[in-house]
Amino acid sequence: MPRWLRWTWIVPAAFLAVFLAYPLVVLARTVLAEDAPSTALHRLVAPSLWQVAGLASVQALLSTALALAVGIPLANVVSRYRFRGRALAQALVTVPFVLPTVVVALAFRTLLGTGVPQGFALVVVAHAYVNLAVVARIVGAQWSQHDPDVENVARTLGASRWRAFVDVTVPSLRPAIASSAAVVFVFSFTSLGIVLLLGDPMTRTLESQVLRQTSVLLDFPGAAATALVQLVLVTTVLLLGAAAARRSPTRRLRPVALRPLPPTRSGRMALRATVLCAYVIVLAPVLALVSSSVRAEGRWSLVWWQSLGAVDAGTTRIGSPASALATSLGFALVTALIAAVVGGLAAIAVVAPGRARFVAVIAMVPLGVSAATLGLGTLLAFGRPPLDLRGTGALVPIAHALVAVPLVVAVVAPALRSADARALAVAASLGARPTRAFLTAFGPILRVVMIASAGLAGAVSLGEFGAASFLTRAGAPTVPVQIVRLLGRPGEQSVGVAAALAVVLVLVTLTLVLLIDRLGTSARRTA
Amino acid sequence: MSTQRLETRGLALGYGGAVFARGIDLSVQPAEIVAILGPSGSGKSTLLGTIAGVVPAMAGRILVDGVDVTDLAIHRRRIGLIFQEALLFGHLSVLDNVAYGLRRHGAPRDEARDRGRELLAWVGLAGYESRRVGELSGGQAQRVALARALAPQPAVLLLDEPFSALDLDLRQRLASDVAQMLRDQGVAALHVTHDPGEAAAVADRVVSLADLSS
Amino acid sequence: MKDRTAILVTVVAGTLLLSACAAGATPEPSTPAAVSGPVTSPSTDVPAGDASTVRLLTHDSFAVSEDLIAALKAQTGIDLEIVTGGDAGTMVAGAVLAAGAPTADAIFGVDNTLVSRAVDAGVFDPYVSSGIDSVVPELRDDTAAGTVTPIDYGDVCVNIDDAALADRGLAAPTTLDDLVDPAYRDLLVVEDPGTSSPGLAFLLATIARYGDGWQAYWQQLRDNGVAVAGSWTDAYLGQFSGGGDGDRPLVVSYATSPPAEIVYAADPKPTEPSTSVMTDGCYRQVEYAGVLAGAQNPEGARAVVDWLLSEQVQADVPLSMFVFPARDGTALPDVFTRFAATVDSPLQLPADDVAAGLAAWLADWGTTMGR
Repeated sequence: MPRWLRWTWIVPAAFLAVFLAYPLVVLARTVLAEDAPSTALHRLVAPSLWQVAGLASVQALLSTALALAVGIPLANVVSRYRFRGRALAQALVTVPFVLPTVVVALAFRTLLGTGVPQGFALVVVAHAYVNLAVVARIVGAQWSQHDPDVENVARTLGASRWRAFVDVTVPSLRPAIASSAAVVFVFSFTSLGIVLLLGDPMTRTLESQVLRQTSVLLDFPGAAATALVQLVLVTTVLLLGAAAARRSPTRRLRPVALRPLPPTRSGRMALRATVLCAYVIVLAPVLALVSSSVRAEGRWSLVWWQSLGAVDAGTTRIGSPASALATSLGFALVTALIAAVVGGLAAIAVVAPGRARFVAVIAMVPLGVSAATLGLGTLLAFGRPPLDLRGTGALVPIAHALVAVPLVVAVVAPALRSADARALAVAASLGARPTRAFLTAFGPILRVVMIASAGLAGAVSLGEFGAASFLTRAGAPTVPVQIVRLLGRPGEQSVGVAAALAVVLVLVTLTLVLLIDRLGTSARRTA
Repeated sequence: MSTQRLETRGLALGYGGAVFARGIDLSVQPAEIVAILGPSGSGKSTLLGTIAGVVPAMAGRILVDGVDVTDLAIHRRRIGLIFQEALLFGHLSVLDNVAYGLRRHGAPRDEARDRGRELLAWVGLAGYESRRVGELSGGQAQRVALARALAPQPAVLLLDEPFSALDLDLRQRLASDVAQMLRDQGVAALHVTHDPGEAAAVADRVVSLADLSS
Repeated sequence: MKDRTAILVTVVAGTLLLSACAAGATPEPSTPAAVSGPVTSPSTDVPAGDASTVRLLTHDSFAVSEDLIAALKAQTGIDLEIVTGGDAGTMVAGAVLAAGAPTADAIFGVDNTLVSRAVDAGVFDPYVSSGIDSVVPELRDDTAAGTVTPIDYGDVCVNIDDAALADRGLAAPTTLDDLVDPAYRDLLVVEDPGTSSPGLAFLLATIARYGDGWQAYWQQLRDNGVAVAGSWTDAYLGQFSGGGDGDRPLVVSYATSPPAEIVYAADPKPTEPSTSVMTDGCYRQVEYAGVLAGAQNPEGARAVVDWLLSEQVQADVPLSMFVFPARDGTALPDVFTRFAATVDSPLQLPADDVAAGLAAWLADWGTTMGR
């Protein structure tokens, strides 16, 4: 191992210390000053708090199970087989994940009408829909390196198709499955927008509690207790996920080339059906959006598209879609850069010797930090003189990177972990210098997954709303902020133009993801 | 009834609709090692894949011990398979890799492990039982793969360029070792290779793929 | 791109240094100054707002015409920079946490449910605009004892999809009491008061009306099939039949929603809105502006509060934010005079009562509604 590998953890650790820990410390100092320790303890054990935690856990477990059940077959097809429309299918799956939650919720409403009652089940379905990409991408990245002949060997040893899948494929995918399941669980457990928009009185999360405690009750110590419980629970889940991912089989290092569809008719049919299902699942809500954007007064009409540039011109209300798009893309680019560097280095730490690999787990922690809490902390830490980063425009991409870094780690770490350490030894034994040997052993796979995860990070940034809503200046809203503003007022225009903007966002995201995937594929080809 | 371990009648090979060899009649006697020689890309792997059931036959029949297995699933054909790479199960110990096939055929855990130990000793890897497969060298891994493939006592063992990923020196040593081991066990085997030297060293009979197809 | 990267690198390096300093410093007593951020380092010192820049902290539904901002600059030399702090509640939460060392100079959008909490937390540097004398009489004294200036007001009322009700052969409800009539079973959607501002206003309206009997009223609402949405967007655009594809003809929204329906309709605009407002049981929301305590530019902040109450901005308020201007005699746009409901006797609770009772009310509401 090259010596510098020991020190890669410093960059992610410093990033997290400055932009995660420091704001939280600032916030905690402000908030906890008012509270006696005994009251604080009392708050932590409040039954109402744990009741919500329990309910949210059940919800998140079901959401995760559903996302895995749909995402794993999808990962199988999309990441292993070569067929027409594969790249599009892969990119499409990413779209729900990066749509602003308010848009997803609205699309679900438009699609399902009022026939499907809001509530627990709808929230679970929406969470699974949104997080499909997490499973498909993370599991797919690992599956794409899985040699199908290993399964065939198991078959010749007497295993049925299903048995071989369970005995051989699942264990080799376990790091990715564990990793993605933990991420999906955490996203569903801490979800806010979907819970508010599609939930019923019984469906709540700790995050929605935090929001209520901060912005309705101004009960900061109470919110701090809730946020702390959420952080602890989420960290526990992430640690469990990391532990399950750690012991992984050694496998081939090289990504396996995409294969043609299986030779048997039934096999082809099954795979085609999976792709078709994916299209239907992903596209149905998107098509509902498209249809909302071209209907006015109950007729087909392009009026919302035509007014896209002119809506509220001359006021600070919505802002021009073109400039918002530019703002969003700029943020996405910087976010992708930060997240890829910080997240990539954190993920590399998993293959580094010693305690450094712990950083990979720490890097996942932002997922558990309540968004409202972090937002307020960031505002206090970096939103006012003497340390005012608002003006630099850096706060939003930094906040987005905090969300994206865990995803990058979740994608990169399993791939690296399963990369063959033997190759490193071989390269070193052939006389390569440590750095050279490291790059020989890990370089190709690193390049593939880094490109993929930078794309994911950029896409996350494109769809993020929460941080952008209170870390920006009003003059420069992002596209999701515009959409949410539109959806905050009455009139036919609000849904129509918001839907048109959402469709623009979908197209931009799709283009970005397709481009990144293409880069990734060519990297994979040269690897 | 035939006394052949393996027999193909008028077998046609293809992939994804394209047929690239047809009319293959091939037989392997009990305890016979047959080598099939052909340049890479000539369809040798497809032949083995078709016999094993990984690739469907475009036409013709495949018989194992006289039973038509053409329409049987892979795991019911009693055929063992060894590839260029060992493809061991990374999450299992060396011993559990070897015992895997026995477990799938219903052997109790202890019995499967006992038999696994015998086989490991037989391929010269006694003492490696609890090793992780990542710690094995390429030659060792291929020996484990052999033990694993033979454990459930397949009617026929198919070997697809099993030594070509190894160094020349190791390749020759292992090839003769394996041939000897197969003979000791009386296993019928079909061995494909592009290397005439290896074919001659290992097999009782060498046929060229080009001669087989009509 | 390169510039951004350079900025980032500088920022990361600088803040690293700073947080090291901060970590080293012993925690000071918890005065506001203790959270005002670490010592300045020359490398990252963003130029502190020069005298001409005023930062206005506001919620994300704030809007104003751009030429008014330009006019402000032309008249006073003030560069107005609008910073959004999330929704109204989150914005106030941020302001309370930063009280004494604020993230802006002036604030707009604190409403009457939260204003007393903000005042108690020391958010404001007391200032009432000199224009207060021109404000409508009922708001003239509404300044939290000389601390803030009322800028606009609006009413949260039940909105009605008249056609949908007529289809069911029902007359429009006219009072809060009507809503528990079995005839209106399963027809009303309200917002969760714990997560939505109009939802909270509606809860306060029922408390103002029924006093201790409010829980009994909600019990009846519940038995009558009221739906609770998590947000205004879901209630109005999702579940209300008059605002989207929903199937409930009654929703808690604003007295100004009908004119907004016209303004934001597709061309050609309909001549009349399809929704109307039940003018009983409305809760009055007032929005205030103020100068933030510890502002870098208090003078400019005061000028911006005055500007918000100026004739021009007040005239812009109705169509920018769909609220009524506080300034008396401000000419209202035609669509407002014709379709916005005038509420003669809105319900209101004293701000101090709200501050004291809110937590318990929300908890009790949760119990009543089975949350």
